[in-house]
Amino acid sequence: MLIHILVQGLLLSGFYALIAIGFTLIFSVGRVLNLAYGAFLMVGGYVYYQSAQIIGLGKIPSFVIAVLAGVLLGALVYLLLVKRLRGDAIAIEISTLILAVVLQAAVIVVFSPSAKSMWPLIPGVLRFGSASVTYNILVAAITSWVVIGLLFVFIMKTHLGRAIRAVSMDVKGAVISGIDPDRINLVTWGISGGLAALAGVFLATYTQLDPGMWVAPLIIAVAVVIVGGIGSIVGSLVAAHVIGMLEIITTTMVGAELRGVATMLLIILVLVFAPKGLFGKAEL
Amino acid sequence: MKFTRFLKASVATVVLALGTALSGIALAQDKEPVVVGYIGSFASDTGLSTIRGAEIAIEELNAAGGVLGGRPIKMVMADTREDVAEGIKAYEYLNEVENVDFIISGSIDDVSLGWLPRMAEYRTPTLDTWTSYVGIIDLVVQEYEKYKMYFMNIACDEALATLYIDFGKDVLGAQMGYKSTVIMQEDTAFGNSIAGLVTDLLAPEAGLEVKGTVVYDANTVDFAPLFNKAVDTGADFIYLISSVRSQVPASQYVKLQVPIPMTGVNVAAFGQDFWSDTGGQGGGTSTLSPVPSVGMDLDDRTQAFIDKYKEKYGSNRPIYPHFNGFNAYYGILTAFEAAERAGGFDPLDDWVREYENTDLKLYKDDKLWFRYAFWKPGEIEPRTQREYTHNQKFDITPPFEDGAPAMVVIQWYEDGTPAVIYPPKFATGKFQEPSWIAN
Repeated sequence: MLIHILVQGLLLSGFYALIAIGFTLIFSVGRVLNLAYGAFLMVGGYVYYQSAQIIGLGKIPSFVIAVLAGVLLGALVYLLLVKRLRGDAIAIEISTLILAVVLQAAVIVVFSPSAKSMWPLIPGVLRFGSASVTYNILVAAITSWVVIGLLFVFIMKTHLGRAIRAVSMDVKGAVISGIDPDRINLVTWGISGGLAALAGVFLATYTQLDPGMWVAPLIIAVAVVIVGGIGSIVGSLVAAHVIGMLEIITTTMVGAELRGVATMLLIILVLVFAPKGLFGKAEL
Repeated sequence: MKFTRFLKASVATVVLALGTALSGIALAQDKEPVVVGYIGSFASDTGLSTIRGAEIAIEELNAAGGVLGGRPIKMVMADTREDVAEGIKAYEYLNEVENVDFIISGSIDDVSLGWLPRMAEYRTPTLDTWTSYVGIIDLVVQEYEKYKMYFMNIACDEALATLYIDFGKDVLGAQMGYKSTVIMQEDTAFGNSIAGLVTDLLAPEAGLEVKGTVVYDANTVDFAPLFNKAVDTGADFIYLISSVRSQVPASQYVKLQVPIPMTGVNVAAFGQDFWSDTGGQGGGTSTLSPVPSVGMDLDDRTQAFIDKYKEKYGSNRPIYPHFNGFNAYYGILTAFEAAERAGGFDPLDDWVREYENTDLKLYKDDKLWFRYAFWKPGEIEPRTQREYTHNQKFDITPPFEDGAPAMVVIQWYEDGTPAVIYPPKFATGKFQEPSWIAN
């Protein structure tokens, strides 16, 4: 049983980190919660499904198309919605939540309300004792760690990354230094959209496609960000692993029907005893 | 001159012919339509199956010149959204706004229970095609005068369960030699009731030990830890109970190549769309299914219905009707046959008496295959020794020569074909373990 918990907890945690990282990025830079973030994952999953399973373009081209669609969606949402509502965080949050519902309705119209299972990105199973692990979730977790590592390097080492950090620390200071915050926000929303679509493809191939599938990742992202500390990438990574392990322990040792309850209790505890989260800070 | 006369005569003939034709149309239009109301979900495959089965039956009746003296049938619909409060409102709408003569329902258990008191109030003849809840039939048995206008055109869940226990005994126990099982059930009323059936009746009858129960939230999408937990119990096979998003555990079972067999109740597998919904990864799934089911051989008349269905709806899902689509089709046809004999749906008692006398037998290769009839008041089912007034006349005693079986067990093979594996009279294949286990 211990090996189940370790293996599956580790893999699930890596995946949760990938889900949450784009959400954290937007909050850190723009100081707004993108409540359409879960819908970005959904769109990524459906674009991949249409491209790979319906049109038959192949897995890698479809993967690239899905991520590009996510980048485009993120950028468009910023330009057409967020930028126009700049300065009104509540209006942005309400409108992104409405956008998620609209995207869900659009998916129902185009693809029907029925859930669909997808072919795994990489078929096959690894066995650790009596525990079965699909190559799909293994690849998802490894990709997650690689992408997060690359993102970290990008944020810390590149000129654009440093500009993103500067905006996340102090917008006025960044403007004085010659940085265009609009451009930085646009780039951040694009990256976030791409990361969401990437996670959406893994989520859909691991679980299923369903017009309501945007809710669960949004809750995970919010939970990870609250527990980790709003705006902290390192905090998000740690929180994703805490939540992932907690879910697997609850499922295996307590009761599968209580899987989400443990996470909710953790959020309440963190809000009461450590309101800024485990690594709370205001910048990346 | 001759030409002028010819022209006048021609014009007069055309005018006369047009006038006659138009007055005929006017006469037909003048006839007040008989209004059939549909109550149920508009979006689910099961709801759509009832709608389409009813539509095809109504088209056939209208094409044959109408009903009750040449009156056309008009169908109106009210969406329940599978919600009890919406269902009650929908029933009221059909009666108070649309003034329906007859209602066909594709409602789930709770929704039917919700509008049942309204039905008793409006006294509207109503046929259910989807819920199989025996509690509704018990109401008809106990308070016949109040609920006599209600009929259920699917074998009730108690009949399904009785036959399903036989499957456990004959196939899981005797044929496959399984000694133990682990139940994996969704946390719903449906999951709890079937789990109780398995624990209290099926397992003892089949000589199976229940080594554990894994309960999961109905919205679960990650089944890996659940399957691992089930395998750890050391049971011979998994008994899955899933009615919500059932294609997810089925496809993840295949993706994870879970090392022990799995059977049970998987509602998504009732439909032909199951294979595409699982992305071709539903192989090995077996489930009980009400009849007529996918994978079942059909008699000629039912096959003709399917041919019409496919021609009319093409690739629009559901691409093949669920059992309730068949029940709606035959339910409408037999309800109007009863109405013709009774002179209409009013007076209610006359129609009820005639509908109770309905007995449509469908044969395949000279064997009774399906039967659309109803248990009459006071009639006792021989195996369970109890009454099922106005429930479809099911047969739960082999060799099934007195009615349609209450259910069949089907299995989806790994090449994407569904087969009936139980009972033997209807079987088109045998229970198979998935290739990664069998090999």
